[in-house]
Amino acid sequence: MNLPLAQIPLLLIALVAILMVGSTHLRLNIWLFSAQALLVTMATALSAVQHSDSHLYIIAALLFVLKVLAVPKFFMYIIEKVEVQRDTGTVVRAPVAMLLSIAFLWLSYILARQLPVPSGDTIGWPGATAAISLLCTGLLLMLTRRIALSQIIGFLVMENGIYIFGLTQTNGMPMFIEMGILLDVLAGVMLAGLIAFRIKKNFEHIDVTMLTELKENL
Amino acid sequence: MVNIQNALLWGYLLVSIVIVPGIITGLIRKVKARLQNRIGAPVWQPLLDLIKLFRKEETLSETASWLFRFSSALNLSIAVYLAITSPWISPRPDTGACDLFLFLYLFAAMRLFTMLGAMDTGSPFGPFAASREATLSFMVEPAAILSLASLALVARSSDLTVVFSNYTSQHWALWVLSGSAFLLASLVELSRMPIDDPTTHLELTMVHEAMILEASGKNLALVEFANALKLSILFGISAQCFLHAIPGLMVNASPTIHGIAGLTGLSLVAGSVGIFESLSVKLNWRAAPEFIAYSLAVALIATLAALGADFV
Repeated sequence: MNLPLAQIPLLLIALVAILMVGSTHLRLNIWLFSAQALLVTMATALSAVQHSDSHLYIIAALLFVLKVLAVPKFFMYIIEKVEVQRDTGTVVRAPVAMLLSIAFLWLSYILARQLPVPSGDTIGWPGATAAISLLCTGLLLMLTRRIALSQIIGFLVMENGIYIFGLTQTNGMPMFIEMGILLDVLAGVMLAGLIAFRIKKNFEHIDVTMLTELKENL
Repeated sequence: MVNIQNALLWGYLLVSIVIVPGIITGLIRKVKARLQNRIGAPVWQPLLDLIKLFRKEETLSETASWLFRFSSALNLSIAVYLAITSPWISPRPDTGACDLFLFLYLFAAMRLFTMLGAMDTGSPFGPFAASREATLSFMVEPAAILSLASLALVARSSDLTVVFSNYTSQHWALWVLSGSAFLLASLVELSRMPIDDPTTHLELTMVHEAMILEASGKNLALVEFANALKLSILFGISAQCFLHAIPGLMVNASPTIHGIAGLTGLSLVAGSVGIFESLSVKLNWRAAPEFIAYSLAVALIATLAALGADFV
């Protein structure tokens, strides 16, 4: 496997997503998300160097500040506030979900090889593989977890997947659209965090499977 | 000249088979002792224990048949055969082929005879532990096979000697993945820490220890030595996997460097297993499949990487 330098972060991104599915510790998941965001930043920076595109540098810097530093920091703050440590998970146990996500990785590899890519493009298929598998694993995270925070993380993983797809297949979207998306993500995370606070306040837990239960003393 | 070198290599292999298992077991115990703020026995203590056990008188259960002592002798011979043929230590003399399926299923045969020996004595704990061991072994089998088979797939040969003689470290990612998957699988295979604590003597939970409860004296020495040898082979194989991942370390290196690298790698793997065992807690029996699923996950990724490396 003489991997070209640009492929390594893309494949590591997919592996980190699989690790996130395999772990139920919320803190570890947030650390892994931060690492994944760092790898996304590295992929963006490598792409910027390759195409010598100044817009991508700015986006990489924004990604670093928002997704590597701000969002994980905010999550840690929420965890402190709502006092949860682990996610017990629903239906599918974490290691089984991990095996499922590996199956998704394999499927996305097959799908990615079907995509028409220009010859000599080294990041086309690894990018598509990482992107599709990130979409699937993010969805898996959102479906198999109980705690609202894990579901937000799953959403962010899916968002990373869409971003990676745009970056590797189209050399990135225009900068203003990219910045708008980042702002939306930040706002979405903030809102979801606030909702988690509210759920905690009203129900004394943030387990989404028990939201339908009635409470007596409101 | 070739003859002298070959004789030296054989000498090195045979001396390692006798000494290394004891030292490695002692090293793991030493690391665990140091992490518990104890000084611990010297690393060669297991060797002295073996000599002591050989001198002791043996007590046999009245219900035990010939199978009981036969199984420990057979296990040791299988372990020595595997130690001679499999590439767990480097450099090695030319010992012929070592097929990976033969390698794994001879370990399974060892397990079968340990289980038979455990059930032969009439002790209630033996069959208990044997059923646990059987459960573990069939759950861990896919992970162990896939991790080695992914390497065989890239090398286009199921002969472990051929697989491990490619020192170009071209597929470094695959070597690391397979090595870690195999290490996790061998922790289960040896019924070590996250699955079972080899240092406690609680009959209701222990796996390997409960099977050898009835063995004593020379018989126990054989069982202990076979198990230590199995441990060194399994850890040695994963250490060799990690060594293969380091670019430029083993290519065209002299046998001395190979020997030093092999022994250092084995000690590092054993030391990290010691650290891991000190930090982790024994898993609930029902959580054992989850731990095995992690090892299977890594092995599956390695297989995918091998298939991908084949396509690209």
